Amino acid sequence: MRLVLAQLRMELTTLVRNYEQLLLIMVIPVGVLVFFGNVAVLPGSITLTRLVASVLTLSLISTAMVSTGIATGFERSYHVLKRLGVTPLGRGRLIWAKAGSVSVVELAQVTVLVAIAVGLGWSIVELSWWRLALALLLGTAAFAGIGLCLAGRLRAEANLAAQNGLYLVLLALGGVIIPVDDLPDGLGAVARYLPSGALAEVVHASLGGASSGVWLFIDAPFGAWLVLAIWALIAPLAAARLFRFDG
Amino acid sequence: MSTVFVVNQRQHNNALDVRNLVIRYGDVTAVDAVSFSAAFGEVTAVLGRNGAGKTSTLEACEGVRRAASGTIRVLGADISSINNDVRARIGVMLQDGGIAPNARVRSLVRHYCTLYARGVDADELVAKVGLHDRRSSTWRRLSGGERQRFSLALALAAAPEIAFLDEPTAGVDLDGREMIRGIIADLVHGGCGVVLATHDLDEAERVAHRAVVLHQGKVALNDTIASLCAGGRRLEDVVREATR
Repeated sequence: MRLVLAQLRMELTTLVRNYEQLLLIMVIPVGVLVFFGNVAVLPGSITLTRLVASVLTLSLISTAMVSTGIATGFERSYHVLKRLGVTPLGRGRLIWAKAGSVSVVELAQVTVLVAIAVGLGWSIVELSWWRLALALLLGTAAFAGIGLCLAGRLRAEANLAAQNGLYLVLLALGGVIIPVDDLPDGLGAVARYLPSGALAEVVHASLGGASSGVWLFIDAPFGAWLVLAIWALIAPLAAARLFRFDG
Repeated sequence: MSTVFVVNQRQHNNALDVRNLVIRYGDVTAVDAVSFSAAFGEVTAVLGRNGAGKTSTLEACEGVRRAASGTIRVLGADISSINNDVRARIGVMLQDGGIAPNARVRSLVRHYCTLYARGVDADELVAKVGLHDRRSSTWRRLSGGERQRFSLALALAAAPEIAFLDEPTAGVDLDGREMIRGIIADLVHGGCGVVLATHDLDEAERVAHRAVVLHQGKVALNDTIASLCAGGRRLEDVVREATR
């Protein structure tokens, strides 16, 4: 436990010193929430609850997939993972420390974003904390798995491009910014099988938002929970199988 | 500081025993039935041309690389099932550093001292490798020689009983080499077994007690430096002849 905590502290210190990552995981989500929460440019169908759900989903994808994936990809290319792997920390504790680092960041994100949302007039009364925590847990497993699949296989530069490209595609077309129901039919059908659309839907439901549509032949939100749970199982297993510590 | 490097208990004869080590990359056999030992309190130089299998052999001994067959015992423990107590007594300096460009000298050395928990003082270690004035610098701002000494400091954080040093003097100036030579001498004096992979045969002749010369993945020579250089022969000539 002592070694995991030491590595966790190192991971968080490195993160705080990395301005690009701070921009991605904190400044952008806060900026999006504050801007769209104050300026009425979104369609009327996007309520404040939907906006908060979208921003929480965006922030989770930023942290669990993009930030973790890019940082791990570069650490792999610099042989940092290889070097740490032969210390008493070992690979197992290194993974626990990284998981802890992601959890700490997500906790900070949720705290800040919920506080801002309340400041914007969003009511916390309908929020189910345990459902939100479960959604974030499953979402973290799914997106960290996807991020590590890319980071563990691609060269650092290719990984950087792939993570950012996938991030933008998921935000725009994966049911994060535009709800799955509002996407064109073909895109909407695809987005119902993606972890991004499922996560946005279950987070929205956890915040007290109304659910609609059919996911995997099951009505929302249960269908969306099922899609997310499947991704949360498959993506980490794929990462465990595909990830190479040495770049 | 030197007391840190003293090997207190030795329940095994050699620091390292490698038997019939085979390493393959796909269809290519990079290391082919290599056997050698490294004693405590001695420097064993692993020599050979590029691609001879030096780094692959060292990485297998460090536990970084998986062997296709053969056995490796480090400090008496099988490397394939090594526990953290043994791991904490092994110093490793990778050929490619293993340090992120934004890592700061003192911060990372202190972190490694914490991970190894062998009672090494991070500030003393930074001073020992001559980086006291550069302790707040990041790896990317260091010169080639300073980077090597930074990497060496991480190996020393283990207060090692065996140290695997892969090309520790590559890109290091004369003063830096002198310093690294002194550190290796300190390690040996404290009873540590040092396994050193290098292209620099003059350096090997100066610091090593034994040389294992690899050629096309096989052991071409395995003897003491004194025997190899008997009659005033230069190690460079001996190695060149053996790897022709």
